[in-house]
This record gives sequence, structure tokens and C-alpha cells, in this order.
Amino acid sequence: MTAPIILNNVSVRLGESLALDDVSLRLDQQRIAVIGSNGSGKSTFARLLGGLVPPTTGSLSVHGVDPVTQSKELRRLVGVVFSNPDAQIIMPTVAEDAAFSLRGEKLPKAESAERVRIALEEFGLTDLADRAAHDLSGGQKQLLALCGAVIRRPQLMIADEPTAYLDARNSRLIANHLLAPNDRRLVLVTHDLTLAERCDVAVLFENGRLTGVGDPAEIAARYEASLQC
Amino acid sequence: MLTLYRPGTSWFYRAPAGPKAFALLLVVLGVSLLPSTYSCAALAGGVTVLAYLVSGVGLVELGRQVVGVRWIIVITLAFQVLFVPMEPAIANTARVTAAIVIAALLVLTTRVADLLDALERGLRPFIRFGLDPARIALVLAVAITTVPVLTRLAVGVREAQRARGVRAGLVSFVIPFLVVSLKHADELGDALTARGVN
Repeated sequence: MTAPIILNNVSVRLGESLALDDVSLRLDQQRIAVIGSNGSGKSTFARLLGGLVPPTTGSLSVHGVDPVTQSKELRRLVGVVFSNPDAQIIMPTVAEDAAFSLRGEKLPKAESAERVRIALEEFGLTDLADRAAHDLSGGQKQLLALCGAVIRRPQLMIADEPTAYLDARNSRLIANHLLAPNDRRLVLVTHDLTLAERCDVAVLFENGRLTGVGDPAEIAARYEASLQC
Repeated sequence: MLTLYRPGTSWFYRAPAGPKAFALLLVVLGVSLLPSTYSCAALAGGVTVLAYLVSGVGLVELGRQVVGVRWIIVITLAFQVLFVPMEPAIANTARVTAAIVIAALLVLTTRVADLLDALERGLRPFIRFGLDPARIALVLAVAITTVPVLTRLAVGVREAQRARGVRAGLVSFVIPFLVVSLKHADELGDALTARGVN
């Protein structure tokens, strides 16, 4: 059986720097943690899987789809959550922002409204439905971003440091939503090693190179050891 | 503060966005074309009150909207008083205020998504001239939501400069503000792509 995430000798050049350097891997686990220092290439890896940056060389497949040539198909499969909650709000109110993700699907109005209702309920945003999205707290905004991604029912959720801007309570809330048992695959880019250890596999990047794939506890321990000054 | 949708159930809320926008446009045009007299200023005020009552939005919200545009009222009146006699100055200010506040009824009673759908439908005949209605609607939506973000970014830049003892100045403010705004635009572009916008 083909693995859902396959990279063959992928390199990504951003300007002058090599953000990913000859990465090859196959991942079929459900919850995948991506760890590494700042500038190690983990966000580029996430953006690559999300079709937001093309490979300079090499090829990749995400759930059987080539992100470069099949970007429309990829959009239907993948949801992405970024670290900055402010930059993910598109529409003025909470309900409208959640509904925005469904605009491309041309659903009947009633079905769209029902999916928005269910999604807002799932993320505890029902009472805030008509509030201005930008007036929400950071944690609520990130919940809304997650809601906007989940409402499209993606098979793969990519979360690029989704708790980076949040306090401990909101970080836990977001992490629990992301890591809750469900049918979605998760690629979680994080600096929080305790979150990484809750995943099924961890991927370690250093200076754009893939330096480890395996048991999250072992990979996290190896990463921590590399940080000793 | 930007005018935002206020939930409601009256007939005006349920009215389709396109015809509602057209009807309000006619009322706004009518008010704008009134002569500059005290009686017409009173008429503009009366039409505004009537519009808020008939639409079911209510006078409390009307009060909020007038307070929201208080600086526009002050500035308009101040400039008018400088150049024209008192009667047309007051009448013109009343007409401008009435037009803005009546136009706000559209946004107050219509969800932005419905407005965008109506706009897309309204612009459809222009597709043959190369216009992309969906894109125009999206640009408007993003513009509406970006205003509070840019305000927050501007405050952030100023606070960071104050913390470092940088004196307030146009150039010292504009350059970092442009940098953070462009970064925001980049991130927003990624978010749009991730949510299915090509």
C-alpha cells in the first residue's frame, strides 16, 4: 500500500537559502510531529505538504495527490492552521468566517448553515457566532482558525506551530482539539516536545536536512541532547 | 468602530440583500438630493428615524450609529460653517449624516456573506468584460476585516518604538509599519490559499 505522505529527494530553495535539502521519507502514521530549531526547515516542510510552496527539485505525494500539479484536489484534502491567529481571519464575524471555508463547495444554504452550526458548537464558539472575529481573544481566534479548517472536513490537517501565540490554557485547548481521536491525519509542527510526544511518530529537521524519524520520545530526547551547550 | 451585522428577525433582515441594497441606495440618493434648507434637514432626520423604526433595527441602534460618526459630523459641520451660511451648513451636515446612517442599515441587517453573494450576482453580467465578481467580493471582504488588524499593527509598531525611545515621526513609523503590513499580507495570502481560494 502507498504511504499517504511520500517525499522523494525533495529540496526547497527560498531565495538564496536551501530551506529543505534532499529530503526523502514515507509516513503512514496518523499523528506526525515535526520538530527542530528555528530555521531548521520544519515550517517549509509543512508548507510543502500544504501546497503553499513548491519543491525546487524532487517529487512528493500527499494522500495520492501531487501538490504541484493537482492543487485543487489538494485543497479539498488538506486543512492548514498557522501560528498567527490574526492572519487567518477573512470575514468580519465568527460565523461568517467559519462559513467562508465552505464558499468554494457551493453547498445548499441550509446544509452550509448546519455545518457552520455544528462546527461552532464543536469548538465552543456558538455564543460568539455574531461577534466581530477580530475582537476575540488569541485563543478564541485560534479556535476559529481551527474551526475554519475542520469545517471543510479535510483528510489531513497541517498545524504550523498552532500554539506559538497562546497562553498555557489556550495551548492545551488547541492541542486537545488537534490531538483528539478522529479520522484525520495530523502533521503538527511544534516546539513543544510534550505535544510531540503525544503523536505517533516524530520527524526531526536540522539545517534543512531530515535527521531523524521515529518514536516521538526517542526523537525528542535526541533533539534535546543536541541542544546541550 | 466598523458597522457590523446585528442579529435580528424583522422583515427587513429577511429581505434579500440585492433588492434591499437597491432600495436603500434610492433612499440615500433621495436624501442626498434634498435642498439645503432647515426643513429638508428635518426631513432627512425624519426619514432616518422612520427607516430605523420600519426596518425593526430601532432607535437605540440609530443613536449608536450617530455616535459612531460623531467626528464626521463635527468635521463636516466645521468646514461647512467656514465656507457657507449656517442654514446650508447644518442642512448639508444633516444630509451627509443621514446618508451614512441609512446606508449602515444594509450592513447592520445583512450578513457580509449574503452581501458578497448579492454583489457577485450583481456583477455577473460584467464577466464578459473580464471582471471576476468572486474576486471583487473577496477583496471587499478582506478589506473590511483588515482595517482592525492594520490598526492593531500600527499601535504595535508605535509601542515598540516608544519602548526603544524612538521619537514619533512619519518616516520612522511608515517603514516598520509597511514591513509588518506586508508580512501580514503574506500570511493572509497563505491563509486564503489554505482555505481554498486560488
